[in-house]
Amino acid sequence: MNRGDGALGSAQREEDLARLIETVAGGERAALRALYEATAPKLFGIILRILPDRNAAEDTLQEVFVRIWQRAGSYDPRAGAPLPWLIAVARHRAIDRLRQDRASRLTQTEDGWLERLADTKDGEADLARRDALDHCLDRIDPPQRHCLVLAYCEGWSREDLAARYDRPVNTIKTWLRRGLLSLRTCLEAP
Amino acid sequence: MSESGTPPFWHEDPDGAAGEYVLGTLPPDERAAFARALEREADLRRAVAAWEARLVPLAAAMPAVTPRPDLWAGIDAKIDAKIDTTSDSRPVAEAVPASAGADDGGDQIIRLERRIGRWRMATGAATALAAGLALWIAVARPPSLDAPPQYLAVVDRGGALPALIVRVDLKAGVVQVRSLAAETPPDRSLELWYINAGSAPQSLGLVSAETASLPIPADLRPGTVSTTFAVTVEPPGGAPEGKPTGPAIYSGRLIRD
Repeated sequence: MNRGDGALGSAQREEDLARLIETVAGGERAALRALYEATAPKLFGIILRILPDRNAAEDTLQEVFVRIWQRAGSYDPRAGAPLPWLIAVARHRAIDRLRQDRASRLTQTEDGWLERLADTKDGEADLARRDALDHCLDRIDPPQRHCLVLAYCEGWSREDLAARYDRPVNTIKTWLRRGLLSLRTCLEAP
Repeated sequence: MSESGTPPFWHEDPDGAAGEYVLGTLPPDERAAFARALEREADLRRAVAAWEARLVPLAAAMPAVTPRPDLWAGIDAKIDAKIDTTSDSRPVAEAVPASAGADDGGDQIIRLERRIGRWRMATGAATALAAGLALWIAVARPPSLDAPPQYLAVVDRGGALPALIVRVDLKAGVVQVRSLAAETPPDRSLELWYINAGSAPQSLGLVSAETASLPIPADLRPGTVSTTFAVTVEPPGGAPEGKPTGPAIYSGRLIRD
């Protein structure tokens, strides 16, 4: 189903999740419930980092599962593992909500994302991939790295980052693109 | 890459744009345009999936937070609300009198047939797809008396090859959809629905050139309820809210002999 190195969690759990999503696509509400039980706390944790407002985060979690119900049929196991797909649905929904609410993120809610990445021992993140990301993020120039991490983890927009770093929005765009390119180059290095 | 001929904003750096789409940092108009392009461009989808996979350990490292126990009920209710109010807010629903609610399968058929009319008007019957649509339902006899019956809907468009075969195989527990000649309008998807008498349409998924095999949904039980199939024209990737929004180009009943 997936290259073994890119998996999140155990292969068994991945298979279970993929099968659940497939059953949800068949219109089985009980399967959606089971998927919710299995993944809602993880997704809610991710949503809450982007939307600290608890009501907005709860709303968004509900919308995420309605969307999963509607779009389960579009999940293609050949294109990637199930948990990243679910996380992508959650993050995109949360970011859309954040932009819609025009909530501005001029203060950072939490420092230490990178330390958390390095410290994760709960088995959720595939170790090899996590270590590679940790290593490669570490090699990016600090402002670019912080922009990438704040955007991904907390939903900061280019404008938010421009205000924080007191730079033009276009500079932030350049930082983001350069940071992404460095990251990709490092991750793909043999 | 774009319909208008002018290169899209991601033209020069598609992978960077895909990365920023995943980060969430594209400006709103670019984000919306990119999301639309994703529905039709496999290369962009692959680039996005690669970025999701590269960055996901950051998200997976975030601590889980258990949501309030009553949140699930809200999800259940939101899904019910979407199903119950099928088409209510959609322009196509104007063709249906308010009294003909979504609670009657027969009314759904009328509604879908009216959509066919609109589709024809809208396109001037210019496409083979819309011209002379006809539907035959054939019920395959079970090969032996013991075997569970198979149900077959053959969708045709007037003498040419069948466009679509819907096979409900109770023994294997699957619905097979085989698209033989269904032509998908550019930048649209064809979506297959089933409608049990008294219920709102439920999606069975998108109609593609390949054979799709799907588990029989729990409430699709040929023989016990009267089930209708319909194919509608939807935005790329399917109806965004899980209910038909576009014109129905095929519809027909699956009946037990």
